[in-house]
Amino acid sequence: MLKSTLRSGIAAIALFAAAPTAMAQELMIGLRAGPDSIDPHWSTLGSQAEALRHVFDTLVDVDEKLQLKPGLAVSWEPIDDTTWEFKMREGVKFHDGTDFTAEDVKFSIERIPQVTGPMPMTLYTKYVDSVEVVDDLTLRVSTKGMAPSLPNDFTRLFVVPSETGMEAGNEEFNSGEKAIGTGPFTFVSWEPKGDLVVEKFDGYWGEEVAWDKVTRREIPDDAARVAALKSGQVDLINYVPATDYLSMQNDDSVETFVSDSVYILNIAPVVKDEEPQPIKVDGKEVEGNPLQDLRVRKALDLAINRDVLVNVVLEGLGTPANQLMPEGFFGYSDKLPKREYNVEKAKELLAEAGYPDGFEMDFTCTNNRVPGDAVVCEALAQMWSRAGLKVNAQALNGTVFFPAAQREEYTMTMSAWGTLTGEAAYTYGALVHTKDPEKGFGNFNRAGYSNPEFDKVFQEGAQTLDAEARRELYEEASYIAMEDRALIPTVILQSVWAAQADKLDFTPRIDQETRAYAITPE
Amino acid sequence: MFGYLVGRLSQAVVVVFVMSVIVFVGVYAIGNPIDVMIDPGATAEIRENLIRKYGLDQPLWRQYFTFVGNVFQGDLGNSMVYNIPVTSLVFSRLPATIELVMVSVTIAAVIGIPAGLYAGYRPNSLGAKLIMALSVLGFSVPTFWIGMLLIMAFAVELGWLPSGGRGEVAEFLWFKTSLATTNGWSHVIMPAINLSLFKMGLLIRLTRAGMVEAMGAEYVRFARAQGLADRQIVFSHILRNISIPVITVFGLELGSTLAFAVVTETVFNWPGVGKLIIDSILQLDRPVMVSYLVMVVILFVAINLIVDLIYARLDPRVRLKGGS
Repeated sequence: MLKSTLRSGIAAIALFAAAPTAMAQELMIGLRAGPDSIDPHWSTLGSQAEALRHVFDTLVDVDEKLQLKPGLAVSWEPIDDTTWEFKMREGVKFHDGTDFTAEDVKFSIERIPQVTGPMPMTLYTKYVDSVEVVDDLTLRVSTKGMAPSLPNDFTRLFVVPSETGMEAGNEEFNSGEKAIGTGPFTFVSWEPKGDLVVEKFDGYWGEEVAWDKVTRREIPDDAARVAALKSGQVDLINYVPATDYLSMQNDDSVETFVSDSVYILNIAPVVKDEEPQPIKVDGKEVEGNPLQDLRVRKALDLAINRDVLVNVVLEGLGTPANQLMPEGFFGYSDKLPKREYNVEKAKELLAEAGYPDGFEMDFTCTNNRVPGDAVVCEALAQMWSRAGLKVNAQALNGTVFFPAAQREEYTMTMSAWGTLTGEAAYTYGALVHTKDPEKGFGNFNRAGYSNPEFDKVFQEGAQTLDAEARRELYEEASYIAMEDRALIPTVILQSVWAAQADKLDFTPRIDQETRAYAITPE
Repeated sequence: MFGYLVGRLSQAVVVVFVMSVIVFVGVYAIGNPIDVMIDPGATAEIRENLIRKYGLDQPLWRQYFTFVGNVFQGDLGNSMVYNIPVTSLVFSRLPATIELVMVSVTIAAVIGIPAGLYAGYRPNSLGAKLIMALSVLGFSVPTFWIGMLLIMAFAVELGWLPSGGRGEVAEFLWFKTSLATTNGWSHVIMPAINLSLFKMGLLIRLTRAGMVEAMGAEYVRFARAQGLADRQIVFSHILRNISIPVITVFGLELGSTLAFAVVTETVFNWPGVGKLIIDSILQLDRPVMVSYLVMVVILFVAINLIVDLIYARLDPRVRLKGGS
């Protein structure tokens, strides 16, 4: 009796669970992270921008390699040293049927400082001095000083209708009342950490979208995300862990997509006169800071076997890095050679620098920010021990690591840096340039690195509006910083997506965004 | 009775106060939430402005008293990450957790107590030995691992049940619950079983221990001598006597499961409060941490109070006195 009830119960549940999967042109995506709000001006979080792109458009867009392409603006050019002119796209409509004009862009720029939160979007409007609407399709932006990177900043400038009103905040957007954009999908529903549901917008200006309805489900746990794919609950997932990626190679029911990411694991040796955590020889603190010696930094670099990091430690999901940005980015230097691995040479350089028996030092990393940060950290310590150094590696949670790193308490650190804007000013300006709060440079230069030669070339680049001339200056700046081992890049991390076999097709993006409108059914 | 309630409530106030101080000092010691959240490209000026905007440049005591002042006006604050009121954030996720926990403790009690009674009644039978062996597994094998096994078996291989998520919700009485739909049940059953295993093991062992002890007690022998049927002895005399430790543990477990069901919630992607609180801790979202913990303290105090009231009902020797 009990048995038969149980059996029919399970059968009923099974029937129910099996029923609602195959609906035409619906896409279910399982993602590691989602937005914090539907207000596109609330936060700079990457997963926020990624999700909101489905509903809102940005003024300037970026291609798969993060290089600029037209978005709501079809073209832009500097008309004098401190003014940029943007030409708007014609015939674009908001989801409520109103026309998109330059007035909406002006409103959106001015709205940002009013509503942005602890991950402030003012970052992208910091050069804006004032905005002038010339006509419906022309907008002029006056900048504070020369701002060659303004179009790059505007790749995160989401446009909302000027009727939104300054007082509307997160709650009005989350409820859908104000979630009106020009994007490929209209907003249906969302709640914090829950599903974001969107539907196709028929009046979209861009290429027609293949899906009628898209659900972006947040599944932060890696194993749960993989299980959701394997059990058919979702069609596509991002951030597949390395171990599952390996097993998926032998599984016909799933297909994988791999791409380089913008994230590179960089080592930052502190070159200040006094290192925060003592460096020791035979238990005694050494005079001065050995890391100030270029030969020591070169030795650290030479002792790193990047092929082992990629093939063994990261299970193949990486690419050796020789500078702070992936190839093809604005300011990537072609002149820099592939990094060499040579332990003998490393030992020689250490001996020349006066440390024939090496030294002992602390090395601190993050352990939860990007896949593989903790294992690379430990592998590096072992590699250095072959060159005669005793490195105490410690991998910490980001919650502990970042505030302490901000207070500059570590002698040498490793963390991931992503060139999210696709150009050198963002990365080299923040990490390598001499710390200068007034000019806004070197905010994340926690190593105390300062090189007048680099600063000069970089600043010249930052003051050059001509894109080609600027590119050359940035390439030279990259070259100088990397040859001086201001930071030591190790590996470019790769990112993996997995989908049901024969279900869909897409080109993975270097910024790791999963854009539903760029995915096509197979 | 009234004095007793007042005593209990004032205890709760003290605990809430101490706990909120600990959270403030703890977050302050870790560092500045802005440094955890802020985008790497932000200028020093933007950072300074934010720190001032959120009052994080103030001395700790002033931050704390501002918070306490707001609480007395009924405002627990807005989440720094979501910028929506903390109360609505927590209450949007709490029903999912309550529902999961209720199903799981029911499963634990309905299976655990009878199984424990049987194992104590016939301690040497094969069935009893089997039950005891399984109960050891129940609280020694890690929850997340059993969860993964369940998912692999029932969702990935057999495809009978969904691998995670909450499923459809429907209106039941005055709130929305997934227990009102078949689809909802298909989602809740696996995580609930997973969450119940530990409690089930505990209940089995407690009930069995009480049962074995009671079987040799004077009153049982006396009842037998009177010629009462075993069924009557077990259910109306022994069960009542061994209920006190069982209910104590049950109450505590109920509280801790509600507060910390996070492992199961993560593995099954259950949209409960557990994941919310873990993320708030990682992002140092202080308003959410404080309010959530305040709610947990109140919950524990309430459960303990209910447990005490049940004691008094079960055992006439227990008297509730004021303040003690």
